[in-house]
Amino acid sequence: MIARLVFYFFALLAVLSSVFVVTRKNAMHSVMYLAFTVLSVAGIFFSLQAEYLGAIQILVYGGGIVVLYIFVIIIVNLNEIKPERRKLFPKMFIFALPALLFLQIINVLFMNRPTPPAGPESGLTFTAFAEMLFSSYLVPFEIASILLLAVLIGAVIVARKKLTHDSD
Amino acid sequence: MIPINAVFGLGLLIFFIGLFGVLFRKNLVIMLMSLELLLNGVNVLLAGLSYHMRSPRGSIFAIFIILMAVSEAAVGFGLVLSFFRQKKTYDMDEFNELKG
Repeated sequence: MIARLVFYFFALLAVLSSVFVVTRKNAMHSVMYLAFTVLSVAGIFFSLQAEYLGAIQILVYGGGIVVLYIFVIIIVNLNEIKPERRKLFPKMFIFALPALLFLQIINVLFMNRPTPPAGPESGLTFTAFAEMLFSSYLVPFEIASILLLAVLIGAVIVARKKLTHDSD
Repeated sequence: MIPINAVFGLGLLIFFIGLFGVLFRKNLVIMLMSLELLLNGVNVLLAGLSYHMRSPRGSIFAIFIILMAVSEAAVGFGLVLSFFRQKKTYDMDEFNELKG
C-alpha cells in the first residue's frame, strides 16, 4: 500500500515536470524541470525495487547529463530564437503521430492483461542482478566500454574548434 | 504490488510527452531534452516489467539504455556546438543543408 502511494506520488511529479520540460519557452527552465523529472523517475525506480537503477539514474542523469545541458546552454547564446511557426501540412502530420500513440496509451490503461509469470522472490536482489550482468551479459558490458571510449574520442573531435590552416 | 497497467501507462505517458516535444519544438536543445524523456519512459517500462517478473533482466537492459543515453548526449552536444559555431542559431529550420 505504501509502495503504491509512493509510486503514484512520483508518477504524478514525473508527468507534471516532463510536461513543463517540453512547454517552457526558456531553455534554462526546461533544464531545471528535466532535473526534476529525472529525480522523480529515480524515485519510481526505487518504488519498483530497482535500487541500483535508481542510484545510477541519480548519478548519471542528475549529476552528469543535466550539468552537461546547463553548460551547453551557458556556452551558446539563446536570445536569437524566432517564434515557433510551422506550415499546415507538417503540422497535421506531427499532430497525427502523438494522437495515435495517445489512443494506444488509453487502450493499454484499460486493457485486462494476464499477469506475467513471476519468478522467485530473490530475483530482485543486488546479488541476482550482478550475477546475471557479469555472466549472461558480459559481452554487451565489454562492448559498452568500447562504445564509451569511442564516444569520448568522437565527441572531442566533433566539438573541437577548427583552426584556419587545418586541412580537413 | 503496483499494478502493471499503472506502470505501462506511466512509461507510455512519459514517452508520449517526449515524442510531443521532439515533434513540436524547434529549439535544438529542447529537442535533445525530449529525447532524454523518451529514453526515461522506456526505462520505466523495463523496470516495471523487471519488478513484475521478479527477474533482473529488465534492470540490466535499462542500465544499457542509460549508457546509450549518455553517449547520445555527449555526441549530440558536440554536434550542437559545431552547428552553433557555423550558423549562430539554435533553430532546426536552419538545419536544412548537408554542406559543411
